[in-house]
Amino acid sequence: MIQLYNVFKTYNGNTPALVDISLLIKERSFVFITGASGAGKSTLLKLLFGWERFDSGQILVKGMNVGKIKKEKLYLLRRHIGVVFQDYKLLPNKTVFENVAFALEVTGASARSIRYKTSDALKSVGLFKKRDSHPMQLSGGEQQRVGIARALVHNPAILLADEPTGNLDPDISLEILKLFEMANQQGMTVVFATHNHELVRRANYPFIILDKGNVVRP
Amino acid sequence: MFYSKHLNRAVDNLKSNPQTSLVSVSTFAAAFCILGLFMVLYVNLDSLLATWSRQVQIIVYLNDDLKKPQLKKLEALFAGNSEVSSVEYVSRQAAWEKFKNTFSAETEFLETLAFNPLPASYNLRFKPGPRRVENIRRFAEELRERPEVESLEYGEKWISRFEKFMVFLKVFLLAIGGLLGLGLIFIISNTIRLSALSRKNEIELMLMIGATHRYIKTPFLLEGVLQGAAGAVLALLAAKGVHAYMSFQFSDSIAKIARDADFLFIGPSGILILFGSSVAVGWLGSYISISKVLNMVNES
Repeated sequence: MIQLYNVFKTYNGNTPALVDISLLIKERSFVFITGASGAGKSTLLKLLFGWERFDSGQILVKGMNVGKIKKEKLYLLRRHIGVVFQDYKLLPNKTVFENVAFALEVTGASARSIRYKTSDALKSVGLFKKRDSHPMQLSGGEQQRVGIARALVHNPAILLADEPTGNLDPDISLEILKLFEMANQQGMTVVFATHNHELVRRANYPFIILDKGNVVRP
Repeated sequence: MFYSKHLNRAVDNLKSNPQTSLVSVSTFAAAFCILGLFMVLYVNLDSLLATWSRQVQIIVYLNDDLKKPQLKKLEALFAGNSEVSSVEYVSRQAAWEKFKNTFSAETEFLETLAFNPLPASYNLRFKPGPRRVENIRRFAEELRERPEVESLEYGEKWISRFEKFMVFLKVFLLAIGGLLGLGLIFIISNTIRLSALSRKNEIELMLMIGATHRYIKTPFLLEGVLQGAAGAVLALLAAKGVHAYMSFQFSDSIAKIARDADFLFIGPSGILILFGSSVAVGWLGSYISISKVLNMVNES
């Protein structure tokens, strides 16, 4: 599903972010990527959905050679991937429903399908009743659930999560983790980046440790 | 469906930045109103030229003491030209009488003249047609070579001078239009850039969740097109207002200058050109700015 071969990435030409990364993440698996701040977790995820370019090596995601995809065609890759962010990235002027529906709207889905799938996604994260609220009216945990619903709504093959519990307290973090586990049980490949060792320990999934851009434990 | 959704988003964008949109539409209106007024000037001068051209005739002055067969020969030449609509012979005597009538105030001077100094002439009028002036010019050159002809007149100098002026005016209009267009592209690209930058997070998110570049660009392009269209409509209304005011206020002077020709407004094709140019400028300005913002977001 996800393969990296000798991937190097530097910022501004001289600050190494990822050094010679090679790894394989199988289909339907759940993998943690962990490490201290600045270890390269976010950079690695950004490379996987083509948000940033790498210097050398090769990345294959769902059979697509990420380095070879033109900027204008990256949407083809991104439509197979759902991304959850630490800062949620919700649009404040849209309601909960509109925020989730937005991920379908941009793909040109029909109004009927948008209504149906968005309601379904909101039910799966337990926020259907708050569909008309605006993000600022929600707690951090609830906002992250909206972010997860938005990532799940188009039923992607891969779910990337960049520190999704970074701003949440431990109990809420476990609830959020459960949502990712549910997605994984439904067949999605989940790559979960976190520096929360406790969460990694309790969940008991395979993990990759990054340190200063190097894989120290595959 | 695709465009109606984007049109709604474009209208929302305009509403959310009312001041910026207003400035941009006003700039469009002012610039295209200036261009429209220049077009009104051009249309009227062109119509004046056409009116004057219609009145052009050749006066062929003849050598003295021509015999009848020589005159017949000339008349046959006139008859052989299918563009000539009428031929009027003015004898030396008739010309002298007409001259004396015209300058009757100068009788003392005229009586001192012991002979008639005026030559006989033919006045040739021509049929209307698109190449009328060109035909007259060619026929005049042909007649000038004839031994029977002393000289001829057809207002050649002022017609070609006026034609040159019209060419200059056309070039001037194009240059003014080009300069205004460039200025407007700059202004509209900055307006749309501000609008796009205020939505940077939304654009970034759209890219992340799989929107195509076309999907992201379309509402901004429509925003530019709407601003251009609104500006053009206002510009045309303002130009029409100025035209109506001038028609009303200076109708006598205009009638004198234009020899009763109508004071025209820009025709349908001119209106279309003005409207189309404004819309195209709006589109181009938006395209440049949204492409820049997309590249910036992509590379950030």
